[in-house]
Amino acid sequence: MNPKKKPVTPVLLLLVLVFLIPVICTRALPGQTFETMKDTVKEKTLTNGMKFIVLERHEAPVVSFHIYADVGGAQEVYGITGISHLLEHMAFKGTKDVGTKDYNAEAAILDKMDALYDKLTLESLAIKPDKAKIDEMKKELDSLKKKAKELVISNDYINMMRQQGDSFINAFTNNDATQYVSSLPSNKLEFWMAMNSDRFFNPVFREFFTERDVVMEERRLGIETRPMGKLFEDFIATAFKAHPYRHGVIGHMSDLKRITRKDVKEYFKKNYSPSNLTAGVVGDVNAEEVFKMAELYFGRIPGGVKPEPIRTVEPEQWGERRVTVSARAQPTLIVGYHRPAVTHEDDTALEALANIMGQGRSSRLYERLVKEKRAAVAAYSFNGWPGDKYPNLIAFYTIPSKGHTSAECLELIESEIEKIKTEPVTTDELTKYKQTAKKRMIDRMKSNWLMAMQLTYSDVVLGDWRLLFDQLKDIDRLTADDIKTMAGKYLVMKHRTVGEIIPEETEDIKEKSK
Amino acid sequence: MMKQKTIIFSFMVLFVFSLLFVGNTAVLHAQKKPKDTFDFPKLNKIQIPKIKEVTFQNGLKLFLVEDHQYPTVDIRALVHSGNAFEPADKTGLASLTAAVLRTGGTKNMKGDEIDKLLETVAATVESFFGQDYGYVYASMLNDSADKVLPVFADILRVPVFSEDKIKLAKMQEKTGISRRNDDIFPIAIREFNKLIYGADSPYARQSEYATVDAVTRDDLVAFHGKYFRPNNMMMAVWGDFDTATMIKKLKKVFGPWESVPVNVPPLPKVDYKFDYTVNFIRKTDVNQSNIMIGHIGGLMDNPDLPALNVMNSILSTDRMFQKIRTDEGLSYAVWGNYGAGYKIPGVFSAGAQTKSESTVKAIKLMIEEMKRITREEVTDEELKRAKDQYLNSYVFNFQTKSQIMFRMMFYAYYGYPLDFSEQVKRKVEDVTRADVFRVAKKYLNPDNVRILVVGNDKDFGEPLSTLGTVNIIDITIPAPEEKK
Repeated sequence: MNPKKKPVTPVLLLLVLVFLIPVICTRALPGQTFETMKDTVKEKTLTNGMKFIVLERHEAPVVSFHIYADVGGAQEVYGITGISHLLEHMAFKGTKDVGTKDYNAEAAILDKMDALYDKLTLESLAIKPDKAKIDEMKKELDSLKKKAKELVISNDYINMMRQQGDSFINAFTNNDATQYVSSLPSNKLEFWMAMNSDRFFNPVFREFFTERDVVMEERRLGIETRPMGKLFEDFIATAFKAHPYRHGVIGHMSDLKRITRKDVKEYFKKNYSPSNLTAGVVGDVNAEEVFKMAELYFGRIPGGVKPEPIRTVEPEQWGERRVTVSARAQPTLIVGYHRPAVTHEDDTALEALANIMGQGRSSRLYERLVKEKRAAVAAYSFNGWPGDKYPNLIAFYTIPSKGHTSAECLELIESEIEKIKTEPVTTDELTKYKQTAKKRMIDRMKSNWLMAMQLTYSDVVLGDWRLLFDQLKDIDRLTADDIKTMAGKYLVMKHRTVGEIIPEETEDIKEKSK
Repeated sequence: MMKQKTIIFSFMVLFVFSLLFVGNTAVLHAQKKPKDTFDFPKLNKIQIPKIKEVTFQNGLKLFLVEDHQYPTVDIRALVHSGNAFEPADKTGLASLTAAVLRTGGTKNMKGDEIDKLLETVAATVESFFGQDYGYVYASMLNDSADKVLPVFADILRVPVFSEDKIKLAKMQEKTGISRRNDDIFPIAIREFNKLIYGADSPYARQSEYATVDAVTRDDLVAFHGKYFRPNNMMMAVWGDFDTATMIKKLKKVFGPWESVPVNVPPLPKVDYKFDYTVNFIRKTDVNQSNIMIGHIGGLMDNPDLPALNVMNSILSTDRMFQKIRTDEGLSYAVWGNYGAGYKIPGVFSAGAQTKSESTVKAIKLMIEEMKRITREEVTDEELKRAKDQYLNSYVFNFQTKSQIMFRMMFYAYYGYPLDFSEQVKRKVEDVTRADVFRVAKKYLNPDNVRILVVGNDKDFGEPLSTLGTVNIIDITIPAPEEKK
């Protein structure tokens, strides 16, 4: 099964060692590292359209898997906001084989529950709801829930994966994608294939209503009890008036309360066809074996149509927008400017702009706001918010220091923006960005999982996994003038949104004098 | 799992035959269902890297491992010290020392120049203190090592702690104080820690405006001078270098550093008396409660650690997750874990965040899970699952050379056997249901837990007082002293 296990004769081993030693001792060069790795990557598209990208690395007998589903918050419409993420939760609930004692009996009850739930919803939305009827239906729903539960082997899917050694099993959803993560000892490739192909071939969305409650708790945890969470949510909803990025990932509470199992099934059908899935496999495996098994296991999923790309394009902003969140918290300021998608040719220079403006202790914002003026304790800028597949934002984020205001910080940010628009950046600053980009790429390559994630991301969002290794060439070509040009082009007052947390004066946050 | 599926079966048979016909048998016969038995091929061998250990004449202990896969060099240094050793009236001293060590400049270079130099070559140097260690690390591209190493060494050896950067660090620390009640999760963690170790314990206390103001430059200089000595630290170096050459380079920058006898004080003892208390922090602007429940934990060198690891897995991953999240839908994150520290007793804690209404319900269910594991033996299935999980994922402790070496350095630092994880693993193999039951009964005390809720009691479904007398904790931040 494993090609690495062939016995090697001592003489051969000696020969190999003698020839390898001088090679090993030579220093690795960044360019070489990328080219060597790029040459090692292999890809295959299955007949049903699902793509596998494999990087063999035999340092340790482990392997990481990453399935990138090209669907996220941005695909959602009103009424079902949050459904991509809810579906991600449901993808851990098992299949027709995993998680059930008797699938057919269970399915019948689940269908009954769905029908009853629809009736219940209709009745509760009536102008004059019949309370007695509602109570009765709720009771029946509860008893069906219990019956269904008796047939469930709860957490079977995740437990089976963990039991085979997957302590990294997880998934996450953002505006652009839903990503499923797994790492196993490398001799369990076939087990992963069986489990994960089944997950997307035969999923059963059981224990649905309870899991929806869990997601609502997640919303409370991430957004509703956190002032910063509230600010992020409202900021994005303000900066985007048309593009669905404005919904956020977690979804509106009212939608979460109403999404049905049928909605999730339909959403799954539409967005999880093999042509919308890309798998990255990095570690101690044989690529050809991965491809063979992938065809055998994932190949049985019927092909489908890739969903139509989002139609709505965020229109030009007509004037500065402001948003505030009142909270029992200290002030925080975010400023965001519209910028194009990551695939746009300006992306590299915009990354450099963010780096030079606000990444690191020698960045302009940190030097000015923190070190010099002491108006803030942190100042940071970044791209790709709240996603990067579609036009998004370059943002500047600061935490005012005690006794200082957001307004002061905003003024300082503005003056730094004016400066970078008019003078080219220094050679040192440009070098800093180029070196940092290189270092960051190398560090991310060290982990199997991050590598699997980057390969799938690059292939889906950038259009080709090879671009992951080629971006340094673009970066090397950057000039000081490019950055100035980008600042002038994108950091335009009327295209910006300013968001702040305004502290509420209440007893809760007052400081007690002695 | 036995199902009546004759019809499906006959379809399968038909399907198989149709495939036989087109000569695809090998493929179909090989396809397995998740519940089938898998014959896993033998796992390839774990590769243990050659780690070179050197001790310089001045006592600096080094571990080195070559790795030519990536053109980088990483260094991690551990200094025998910790914020447990700062005086109570100067709480924050350690964190200020760590910050200004990095930002305040050295004898040879100003802090701002260091920032620029390091960032221009994409190098990182950072430092911080844990309770019982000081930690400084550096990460760089191999072609900038000659530039970065002398700066890194200077930061450790001859920092000057400039007044200006002390002022900046104090401003950052105080801003942190002013913001510490903004989110409920950090409040819960911090205040629970105080409940367990005591509000004045060096393992839990927090800095205040007054304690930060009390720190002077002399304090920083003295704190650094006392602990940052070559004979009081160890360093692990990993990356793309030739070991002999790297040792030479390190000797050049660290060799002249004089050793001075260091007297690291013993770690303060934890004095814990078991009791049952219900504690509450009111935040009227939230709709979800943060719950923490627990008592003192133990040490990692406890011979019962292997059984405790198995128990933790069953209590946390299996039972709490199953009950609170999967069955009841009450919380997104939930856990129950008996914590063990290298030298400082850890904390046994269970935690969850649930909508205000279900606060008391969640607490009762969590305590019931604690009780259940001390009342009856776990099942064979649970035991097997937990052990398999531990043993099958054990290989992930050997993913990279650096991971293996850094773990080894931590064991060396704390005086644990260098193969400690291996020893624990071997004992996990032998853990029985009776062992799990015994350690659960011995170490968990669900009747005497301290409960903390941070939330909005106006919307609680059941009042917190149903759990006992409620002690209200005031988290108002003491205002800074007026300047005279």
